[in-house]
Amino acid sequence: MSLIKITDLGKVYNSKTVPVEAVRHLDLSIDKGEFTAIVGPSGSGKTTLLNLIGGLDAPTYGQITIDGTNIADLKPSDMVEYRLHHIGFVFQAYNLIPVLSARENVEFIMLLQGIAKKERRSRAAELLASVGLGERMNSRPNQLSGGQQQRVAVARALASHPAFVLADEPTANLDSESTSALLDLMDELNRKYNMTFIFSTHDARVIKRARRVITLEDGMIKPD
Amino acid sequence: MLTLLAWKNIWRNRKRSLIIITAITFGLWGGLLAGAIMMGWGESMVNTAIDRDLGNIQIHQPGFTGDRDVTHYIPKGMERINSIRTLPGVKAASGRTLVDGMAASPASTFGVRIEGIDPERESGVTNIKDLLVTGQYFKSNRKNTIIIGKKLADRLNLKLNSKAVLSFQSLDNSLVYGAFRVEGIYKSQSSAFDESHVFVLGSDLYRLLDSRPIVHEIVIRVDASNVMPVVSAELKNEYPGLELKTWRELAPEVAAIAAAMESWSYFFVGIILMALIFGITNTMLMAVMERVQELGILMAVGMKKGKVFLMILLETIMLSISGGVCGIIVGAATIMILSRNGIDLTAFASSLESFGASTTLYPFLPAGMYVALVAMIIVAASIAATMPAWKAIHLKPSEAIRTY
Repeated sequence: MSLIKITDLGKVYNSKTVPVEAVRHLDLSIDKGEFTAIVGPSGSGKTTLLNLIGGLDAPTYGQITIDGTNIADLKPSDMVEYRLHHIGFVFQAYNLIPVLSARENVEFIMLLQGIAKKERRSRAAELLASVGLGERMNSRPNQLSGGQQQRVAVARALASHPAFVLADEPTANLDSESTSALLDLMDELNRKYNMTFIFSTHDARVIKRARRVITLEDGMIKPD
Repeated sequence: MLTLLAWKNIWRNRKRSLIIITAITFGLWGGLLAGAIMMGWGESMVNTAIDRDLGNIQIHQPGFTGDRDVTHYIPKGMERINSIRTLPGVKAASGRTLVDGMAASPASTFGVRIEGIDPERESGVTNIKDLLVTGQYFKSNRKNTIIIGKKLADRLNLKLNSKAVLSFQSLDNSLVYGAFRVEGIYKSQSSAFDESHVFVLGSDLYRLLDSRPIVHEIVIRVDASNVMPVVSAELKNEYPGLELKTWRELAPEVAAIAAAMESWSYFFVGIILMALIFGITNTMLMAVMERVQELGILMAVGMKKGKVFLMILLETIMLSISGGVCGIIVGAATIMILSRNGIDLTAFASSLESFGASTTLYPFLPAGMYVALVAMIIVAASIAATMPAWKAIHLKPSEAIRTY
């Protein structure tokens, strides 16, 4: 059974003025443990698709079933809860909370989940160690390089024990060395823990490392 | 951690937070000081009235305060005074023989209230003795000496040792005259009182009234204002046939003004807080607009709208409380310094006299007001937080995370 099953998915923006169909009649299936890149030119619908899978936007039509739950049927408040417990996010611009340390940033997700302080502390330390930042746990984001910040973001995404991680252009702001290190890390997590990664990108280095590439064009999957 | 995050968020833009904290500090300082001056003024009017004339509690024969009939004296008045003086909580008690009459000099005449007193006991309940501007307080061995107010002395053109003739109705309704020599002239904080109240020895008055010692009014001072209700209740119980009134009932206008001053103090601080709400709202709106992307991320990763709202609310309350605490400390320190030495308002003496307030003002605020103020700040901050927090929770995460 697929982890994510998308059936006849569509998203129309500005439907009252000039309708723009960002995603149209899209069918897609992603299995547990996939390391998938969604690629395509700007405006092809990559981010919209990721937002729909992540429950940040509601589809205009169609279904997204994650582990048997059609997330399009969830109420907004239930969707927030669903995201918290099932989906890990890594964003383009690192997006850590600047006033919190690396450890506190990772802990924050677990705090929202209501996990006890002791357990939060130990898991945050474990995760940061696993992304190679065990020594920088108490550093604030502005004391870390872009690559290090993005690794903290990966640790934060994994903190909630998600079913999969969505990464929207995770390497867009990174240099080659940091890009390579981040891809190594995600690859390792994927292989070691069978963690599912879905990322949008138009970075050739990322596409090269992906084990499945889905190409979007005008909101539809381009056949191979 | 939410509280810690809220606290840390305040200090992201240190300069902006310090500016609003300074604004709150100065606003509250001004509000507290104005409130303390008003409260001090109200308190001054109350204390002045109590010290000068009213005492804390007065006892009369029923009906006397209405008709001022000289025959409505308190039965066994002297015995009752002695008994009252022994009650716990009673600091002093004195009896007065009161008649309304005319004071005449070669220059003019004027209607006055003549108070026959025992000087020693009277000085335990009122401070007329301390208000003398010239002469002495019943130290002469002469008969028929009188203490008059400065305003009356000016009106009747009387000086020390001048003679004034008092005329009043006796117990048998006949008109009685007596010539009195001015032994002292007092000046209280109320020119109206000074003009209409004269003091003579009770013994001189009994002689003119051709009466044994009689008492129309028993004035009582209590150890502390908080025991007044207890003493009052006990006296009511003890003397059910007499009319007992506290200073609040005797001078409702003074009590009303004092209460109004307290209300005005709250109102004044409330107005300042209301103005500050706009400043705080503006600051928090800026803080939210600067963090649109971050708030979007927080909501995207699973922070519920309620928690986002709470975070903004906590930030606003902490920011406001920081300014509030500074304002309270600075305000309380200023009030403490001013209350030690008082504020000299001699320049406005004539206006203050018409209100019966002292020319030295001692600002003060009751401890309860500081507590109420903290509550008011929290309420104001909560109001100020509403719009920014509302804006924050209505951000769409998918759009907010792409706001740079």
